[in-house]
Amino acid sequence: MSSTSTGSTPPRQALSKIACNRIQKELVEWQVNPPHGFKHKVTDNLQRWVIDVNGAPGTLYANETYQLQVDFPEHYPMEAPQVIFVPPAPLHAHIYSNGHICLDILYDSWSPAMTVSSICISILSMLSSSTAKQRPEDNDRYVKNCRNGRSPKETRWWFHDDKV
Amino acid sequence: MAPSAAESPSAMQAERLRQDGNTYFKKDRFGAAIDAYTEAITLCPNVPVYWTNRALCHRKRNDWTKVEEDSRRAIYLDHSSFKALDLGRGANPQSYIVEEIWQELAKAKYQEWEHESNKRSWELQTLKEACESALKEKISLDSSQIEGFLDDTIDSNPAQLEAQLEALGQVFEKAAEPDLPTEVPDYLCCKITLDIFRDPVITPSGLSYERAVILEHMEKVGEFDPITREPLHLYQLIPNLAIKEAVQAFLDKHGWAYKTD
Repeated sequence: MSSTSTGSTPPRQALSKIACNRIQKELVEWQVNPPHGFKHKVTDNLQRWVIDVNGAPGTLYANETYQLQVDFPEHYPMEAPQVIFVPPAPLHAHIYSNGHICLDILYDSWSPAMTVSSICISILSMLSSSTAKQRPEDNDRYVKNCRNGRSPKETRWWFHDDKV
Repeated sequence: MAPSAAESPSAMQAERLRQDGNTYFKKDRFGAAIDAYTEAITLCPNVPVYWTNRALCHRKRNDWTKVEEDSRRAIYLDHSSFKALDLGRGANPQSYIVEEIWQELAKAKYQEWEHESNKRSWELQTLKEACESALKEKISLDSSQIEGFLDDTIDSNPAQLEAQLEALGQVFEKAAEPDLPTEVPDYLCCKITLDIFRDPVITPSGLSYERAVILEHMEKVGEFDPITREPLHLYQLIPNLAIKEAVQAFLDKHGWAYKTD
């Protein structure tokens, strides 16, 4: 199951010039000033970033490392990037076992002023405030629906709450 | 303000003149095309496409001052509605005329900077070498004059020379600084493009964005300020002339910042 979700690539459209410039600038900024707890090994693939996330000390995910996969759409930043965990994904009430993340800023509440760096910080804060390691209630149903390699951006999300 | 289907006789005539202008333009008869568009503008001054078409003619003739004048006018008319905006920049947002002009201008300005900074750096290097050897000469001259008098002065000469050479090096480094490509300060960059401003507009939140990009955001993402998420309306966008001047001052001093791509 895990292979269907990460192996699936969103339809690859070449990045627009605006997107290219913007990602390039974010990459430079990341290299100078990476968000704390994250590591991105720069490759020549501008369109997909794979980022290591370290659980923050003193939280349920301390000493655990996960991987985020960020795919940029053609019209980034007018469209949100697709951000998922590469399975095994952390156990969390808003993270599905296929790596999809239920977080409003990645979908309806996206704003082009956000960056990969600010997304990373939001995800880490979501992990850090978790009080129990558990999957979302509808995990099995949702993951089954995504088996054909559907992108989380095609999901019609309803956002659980903003506490966790 | 978009050209409504020709209703009045003057609007109909202006449309005919525009078509004439287009025909001339296709035949590379830019003077005749300019005359036709000018007549159309006299009849209907509020139709942005007449201005942008005339701007394109001026561009073909490398008359940049007039390109800017006409484009400004078109943009002034343009941003009152998305429809007009689409007219001004064509179907493709990347052909937005400010962006096109910027690209051309930036390329030329960058080349000019490359040329002149090479010259400046060569001049500075020559001057620096001359100063260094003069300094060395002076110190050895001083020390030969006082030889035999004060032994410790002779000993301190190499150290003194060293210090003065270092200070000289710093002076020349400072002088070359504006030509050294670094980062453009954040306050001169749009928070969406992360690039230096070309045509900044300010929102009621006090934040500035690149005009073409904030318009695209409002069209595609939503009518809110991308950072504060406050509701935002087209009429609230105001050109930020102060930032624009600051950008120009920065570019005049640091031509490397014209580098595109």
